[in-house]
Amino acid sequence: MLERIRSATGGRILGLAPLDLIGLLVLAAAIIFVIPRVADRGAGYLAQVIVFGIALGAIYALVALGYTMVYGIVELINFAHGDVFTLGAFISLPLLGAFGLVEDKSHGIGLLLGLIPVFLITMALCALVNVAIERVAYRPLRNAPRLAPLITAIGMSSILEGAMFLWRGPFNIHYPDLLPANQIPIGGGVTISAKSVIIVGVAIILVLALSLFINRSTLGKAMRATAQDRDAAQLMGININATIATTFFIGAALAGAGGIIYGLYFGTLTAFLGFTVGLYAFTAAVFGGIGNIPGAALGGLLIGMFSQFSDAYVDTAWTQVLIFALLILVLVFRPSGLLGMRVPEK
Amino acid sequence: MVRARGLTVLIAATVVAFACGSTSSGSSSKGDIWIASDLPVSGSDASSGLPAQNGANYAVTSIGTVQGYTLHIKNYDDAVNGKHDATKGAQNITDIISNKDIVGVVGPFNSGVAAAEIPVANRASLALISPSNTNECLTQPLSYCQSVNKYDPASLRPLCANTIPCPPGKNNYFRIAAADTFQGPAMADFAYDTLSIKVVAVWDDQEPFGLGVANNFAKEFQKKGGTVVDRKGFDTSGTAAPDFHSWLASAKKDGATAIYAGATSATFGCIPRAEEKGIFDPNSTFYLGPDGIGDAQCLKDSGDQANDHMYASQGAADATQNPDAAATIAKYKAACTQDTCYGAYTYATYDCAAILIDAIGRAIQANSGNKPTREQVITALAQTSNFKGLTGLISLNNLGDPTSPVLQIQQNKGGTWTFLKQFGISG
Repeated sequence: MLERIRSATGGRILGLAPLDLIGLLVLAAAIIFVIPRVADRGAGYLAQVIVFGIALGAIYALVALGYTMVYGIVELINFAHGDVFTLGAFISLPLLGAFGLVEDKSHGIGLLLGLIPVFLITMALCALVNVAIERVAYRPLRNAPRLAPLITAIGMSSILEGAMFLWRGPFNIHYPDLLPANQIPIGGGVTISAKSVIIVGVAIILVLALSLFINRSTLGKAMRATAQDRDAAQLMGININATIATTFFIGAALAGAGGIIYGLYFGTLTAFLGFTVGLYAFTAAVFGGIGNIPGAALGGLLIGMFSQFSDAYVDTAWTQVLIFALLILVLVFRPSGLLGMRVPEK
Repeated sequence: MVRARGLTVLIAATVVAFACGSTSSGSSSKGDIWIASDLPVSGSDASSGLPAQNGANYAVTSIGTVQGYTLHIKNYDDAVNGKHDATKGAQNITDIISNKDIVGVVGPFNSGVAAAEIPVANRASLALISPSNTNECLTQPLSYCQSVNKYDPASLRPLCANTIPCPPGKNNYFRIAAADTFQGPAMADFAYDTLSIKVVAVWDDQEPFGLGVANNFAKEFQKKGGTVVDRKGFDTSGTAAPDFHSWLASAKKDGATAIYAGATSATFGCIPRAEEKGIFDPNSTFYLGPDGIGDAQCLKDSGDQANDHMYASQGAADATQNPDAAATIAKYKAACTQDTCYGAYTYATYDCAAILIDAIGRAIQANSGNKPTREQVITALAQTSNFKGLTGLISLNNLGDPTSPVLQIQQNKGGTWTFLKQFGISG
């Protein structure tokens, strides 16, 4: 069918490949479907939905970065990554208490001074756990058949979930709602909550710090080199094991921070949270182009935004269906994701 | 989970052993009669399932014997990975059917599980009596049952051959809770008349119970003259709570002053209350729901947004309002002292077990003192009339429903769901 269209039109229509054209048509149909509903609900609500979408997307992005970094360097889907994210939220719970942060009682500078060490300690602990996972479950299998580390990854995921289940039990766990609930007016009678602004701000700082690290530091250069060609990097004197461990370290630190942010934003945790969030984040990473760091951040943002638009303007019950329909569409038309490049299989 | 299940079976076994020791000493027992319970007693459902199971076990141990036979109870758990599971429930029923000694079952707890269990049990004429199933389509042949629930009483009862009410001796399913046709409307009336709410946003968890109760709430609230906005269903089958933020913002924009949650704590029923922060003022916004959110977990999940603006209906009467029940409740309190002893349906489950035992007794008499068959037990159950239970006088009609169900409205006062009012529905 596609071949026939291609030959009939000389391969391109209006300068676009036929597949891209079909994709654009589907996108246009979706936009035409949503626009009347958006107009109907007004600009104020649209602004709120966009802010909610960015906040949710920022959380997905932080987790997606870890999937994509690890894939980029060792071509492994670290299924335990979503659970390291949950672990971050779980570890931070007692830390919040230890630094005297209590729901409704901590404000201003005291809150800030308390949250900074909580973030740093949680990120460090999550990072160490992920490095340990890499050392125990992935490094010994680096040259084994691909399926072996895939299974150990699923195994580590189950172990982490089980451990957290035994630690905190099966019930929903309430996460203290610490961030200010103040509404910031953005004109036209529309307000956005200070909480979402803070969350987005923290996520942006972390992503900027990561990209500076990857692009400017020597270790970052080593990581890029290892991702490109592990053997050549080793010949150039780069310590491969240390570089891969660093990748796991940074990815997990971001996931840990994502866990705290998730807790602060949503206020509820479960031991198996990482499965669902991990699935969306992994989807975001694939969506943006797995292995591509800006792609993961973009993918996270788009998935978050897309799910909020679906919740707000289509139907909440349809959101999951639409997200994965979108993923399939994107992968059919751009198999390597939005920003991904076709790379030959190593 | 496996360990938790093992533990409860162990506790039940000890209680049963103790009961045998105390009641059968000296007298000559004519034999053993077994009943079973099927409730979700592990994971997040355990908060409501375990107290119910304790109530049933206490009924068996305190009643002890029926017509000279010694009573025993076998406890089944229908939760898988911490949540009630319809398939597991049906498996339990299959297991119970193959155990010829068991003549009736107390349970299940959840309507979705009941829908899977009733057909299996019906083929074997095995009695089920539930303290808490409220979905109306389990018993009542209503026009929308097939389209909304994908089942109706006839399709659940193969023995009845499409005749509802079933021919005598064919219906095996009974319950003592008020159906959702009452629970949703009761809260709608209360919200409109007593709380003076005019605009309410309604969501459900896309499960048979939550969907049914939310639809019935919305229908009655609109009939009263109120406005229902942002009627949405959320997929709660995942391991993370759905994101309610944009829905809540939309509800705020549409002028809602109350949220009705057609959900349970296990399906993230009170998470929107926590996520309301910064969107709704909890001191001027009501949070309403069915019995599924009337538990301690809901209040924990609400965090600092939990306050006295939260109300839940209960499909069972409050036994502590019944003066005739005081003596039995006092004894139960002395016998069972842990947290897991007390839940919304503890005394209702006690009543279910007691009604089942009463019916077994009448079935034994009808069978000239011999062990009754399962058919004889369901026939006797259907004839239950003016049974003096802890939750009041209970009669069962030919559909399997209580003839005059009682509902109550509870309010969160300082972290406990507190009895506010109750009213009977004559039907």
